[in-house]
Amino acid sequence: MALSTAALSLPAFSASQPPEIELSLKTSVYKEGDVPIHRVVSGSEERYEIDIQQFYLLTPVARNWSLAFNASHETMSGASPWGTVPGIDGRPTLIMSGATIRDSRTELSVGVNRYTDNASFGIGFTHSNEDDYEADAIVLSGEWDFNNKLSTLALGLSYSDDKIEPTDALLFGRVQKEDKRSRSFSISWTQVLNKTSLLQSGLSVTKQDGYLTDPYKLRDVRPDERLEWALSLRYRKFFENPDGALHLDYRYYDDDFGVHSHTVQTAWYQNISEQFQLVPSLRYYSQREADFYLAIDDFTLPLIVNQSSDYRLSTYGAYTFGLKGIFKHNNWSVNISLDRYISNDKYALSDAQFKHPALLDFSLMSVGFDIRF
Amino acid sequence: MVRQRFFFLIVFIFLVGLGSCQSVKPWQRGTLAKPEMQLEVDKLGSQLYSLVYFSKEASSGGSEVAGAGCGCN
Repeated sequence: MALSTAALSLPAFSASQPPEIELSLKTSVYKEGDVPIHRVVSGSEERYEIDIQQFYLLTPVARNWSLAFNASHETMSGASPWGTVPGIDGRPTLIMSGATIRDSRTELSVGVNRYTDNASFGIGFTHSNEDDYEADAIVLSGEWDFNNKLSTLALGLSYSDDKIEPTDALLFGRVQKEDKRSRSFSISWTQVLNKTSLLQSGLSVTKQDGYLTDPYKLRDVRPDERLEWALSLRYRKFFENPDGALHLDYRYYDDDFGVHSHTVQTAWYQNISEQFQLVPSLRYYSQREADFYLAIDDFTLPLIVNQSSDYRLSTYGAYTFGLKGIFKHNNWSVNISLDRYISNDKYALSDAQFKHPALLDFSLMSVGFDIRF
Repeated sequence: MVRQRFFFLIVFIFLVGLGSCQSVKPWQRGTLAKPEMQLEVDKLGSQLYSLVYFSKEASSGGSEVAGAGCGCN
């Protein structure tokens, strides 16, 4: 029996040189739903809309090297929450910014990998730039294959140096220039279980220090250090009948802000024909609030006492419903996806005192193009 | 207590996974090499979701290191 090209190729998680050039483009529109007008004291109820353009190129170089280039550009506009005050019913009510916030972000990354028979070693650099924020990061990575490439150990190290220069700092009494640093370590083990399934387990630890406060909030005081760790499991299983693949991912996250969360994500890749694939997906997320989270800002507290009314530090849960269509032809493919995210304190695994009025709903629509040659 | 339960659950799943390993010869890996069987099927899509959730939720990380920061969080 003749072996197909696919049968001779290796799963992409192994430390192998890519056999061909991969080029991808994606354009996306991200749009947040408005906050309820009756829970806004001042400012605009219109939240962020972001246009995102992405580019990715991976190419083998010589016999044992590869080069990856990544670029993305985002333009955003809309309003964001500045703080909370008690409403007439005693529940938190929002002070929003005006709808005139406009910003853009550009990120460029380049990475080089060197391959040996059973291992690969990489180094990458990233620069991210926006009007009020600049970041430079370096990533080191290594992968080692064992057991005839049935097992892969991956290690990663990264360091990011970030500079924050809020806009209108003098006008609003914000900090003028601050910085923060992030150091991150990851380890993962990927195991082929049998001819149709594999499992990856991973751990990442990130230490941040410096200015971790949101400079745009009216009252936001956070610790100047944060230690985060996350455990993850990713499972893939192919079913000959009905010709589809199951993706099942889980992550447990914990940090010394007091936040811990559970994330479960699943997707089903259904082959409709040789050229068309349909991918429904579902993600569930639940987090517990930070120790210093306050539903309503307390302006009487001294400035040295930690507090934040950021909805992202509150107790809540969220669902993401997704649907993606992939059309393949020869060496290229086009994909279209739509995701809908809804969040609520009632979806959380633990109880919240108040529902934060700024909890998000958003839609994300993307069109992508991939080619290999 | 809840943390310990989840930790043991993860270790349990991992050990069950390893315990069910079978030898798979190189010519038997066609299914594993299918695009839909990769850990990351859509590189740009994965980056996009990571950025969105990193910006809008308090959690990040898992099996990879953090990248460059952004003003979004």
